Amino acid sequence: MRKYMMAEVEKHQTIFSQLGAQVHVMNSLLCYITFDIDGTEVSYVYNVNKKDKYFLQRIEPYPEPAGTFNNEDELIDIIKIDIEQFKNAKNSHVFSDFVEINKSLSQTVRNFEDLYLYYNVPHDTMDNIKEKLDDIRTMIKEAKDSSERVYNKKDPDTI
Amino acid sequence: MTLDSGVYIAVSIFILTYIFIISEKINRTAIALFGASLLIGLRVISQDFAFEAIDFNTIGLLIGMMVMVSIIKRTGVFQYVAIKAAKKAKGEPFRIIITLSVITAISSALLDNVTTVLLIVPVTLVITETLETNPLPFLIPEILASNIGGTATLIGDPPNIMIGSATKLGFMDFALNLGPIIIVILGVTLVIFKFLYGKSIVVDQNLKDKLMAFDENKSIRDYPLLKKSLFVLGLTMIGFILHQYIHLESATVALIGASLLLIISKKDPEDILLEVEWSTIFFFAGLFVLVGGLEKVGVIEHLASGVLGFTKGNLMLTTLMILWVSAFASAFIDNIPFVATMIPLIKSIGAMSTISIGPLWWALALGACLGGNGSLVGASANVIVAGFLQKTDNKLSFISFLKVGFPIMVLSVFISSVYLVLFYV
Repeated sequence: MRKYMMAEVEKHQTIFSQLGAQVHVMNSLLCYITFDIDGTEVSYVYNVNKKDKYFLQRIEPYPEPAGTFNNEDELIDIIKIDIEQFKNAKNSHVFSDFVEINKSLSQTVRNFEDLYLYYNVPHDTMDNIKEKLDDIRTMIKEAKDSSERVYNKKDPDTI
Repeated sequence: MTLDSGVYIAVSIFILTYIFIISEKINRTAIALFGASLLIGLRVISQDFAFEAIDFNTIGLLIGMMVMVSIIKRTGVFQYVAIKAAKKAKGEPFRIIITLSVITAISSALLDNVTTVLLIVPVTLVITETLETNPLPFLIPEILASNIGGTATLIGDPPNIMIGSATKLGFMDFALNLGPIIIVILGVTLVIFKFLYGKSIVVDQNLKDKLMAFDENKSIRDYPLLKKSLFVLGLTMIGFILHQYIHLESATVALIGASLLLIISKKDPEDILLEVEWSTIFFFAGLFVLVGGLEKVGVIEHLASGVLGFTKGNLMLTTLMILWVSAFASAFIDNIPFVATMIPLIKSIGAMSTISIGPLWWALALGACLGGNGSLVGASANVIVAGFLQKTDNKLSFISFLKVGFPIMVLSVFISSVYLVLFYV
């Protein structure tokens, strides 16, 4: 199997080097972690390599890059906290709405990228989208100020 | 344990192991090691005898070459050569087939076949995808050329490594005795490719222009490493040419080259050793023990006397029988266990008769290596390419390979027969 993987990598290297890329291949182990939280799958994938760089991605219930970490303690803490928060959030009666909205936001990011990369979008439309995004951000900030805080072990990263 | 019970146990374990290897129901390395361990566990042979039966020259040569290739391939030199060749061919499909086949044959003579096809096939696929053409007419000739080219030298194919190690035939013995006939066989095979693929592949000029826009220099990933690798590979090849005259085993030459390259390349040995095909190495070790068991209980001697009885000690008949049986057996079963069994058999024929066994080694090498072209399962290189293509739209089926490979195998073995009869018996 490893032979096939190496041949696949050789092919990618040929293609990307012809496109002008510098390709660095390193040995690493891929870890796929799955939790079952009351019937909801929460899963992560990260790789362990000699350079001590851990690329963490949440796969389920919605995909989200969770960042790059320099040591495994940091990575394990992030997953532990994430799981605690999901267990907590699972008790909320709007949990399914939360998951749906997140999936929809991820899809919207892809839609916007396609719009911009495939079409010549007028300046006004871009301004309009920006304005609506600012509205959503304001709504999130207002909701944060008016809602009861339910997780206190760590402060939010972005709000 | 009586001698008779030892014979029955050794033969039963050997046959069962062979059946499992052929049926692929159990991983070949696992079953070979299990069979070998059973021989020791059931006291047919001692552990000391088992270790002595392992041919560490073959093992060392394989490991040394695998380490070197693992470092050399990181330079991107194979992609460079393949792209340069495709551009020299001006993007003409048939000319690309010929140049890549010749490159594969030469590389296979100097490195092992599996590694060669694993380096040439990916870049060939990039070329055929750029030309928007079916890759099979490119890949089948490359596989066949790989098995043909690998036959030419001591280090080109595992059967030759095993034969060389067991007989003390050196690099130059193989090159001088097998090289000329391999050049003829490769030439004839290329002519057959001309009839098969010469006019059937047509590619638009704009796609050829796309290929011509490739820059082969972009493939070289590490120029200092390339210089070091070519320097050490050159030294190692000189070492192989001279090893008989300076009284060094081929494994010593390969391991000196490998360790020197490990030091001067400054690559992490852990990463490099990860690329060594340890499962193949342990497969060899298991087989050596299994065949050693058969030898110890006298089965090989018995088989040898049977062969001599059949051929009446006639050198030509024995040579041709070994050539053709090896070729047909290797076309459908793994040639490594086959050759591992044949080596002590031929040695016993030599010990029990007055015939010169020199031609028998060349018959075994030609049959076992060229036989690999007979079917898709005949050689590791064939299986690897088919497996690699499995998830693409262009699968390599057993029948489509057989249609081209089998007639070419029969023709190559026929040419080899004429060569052996004319020059050796």
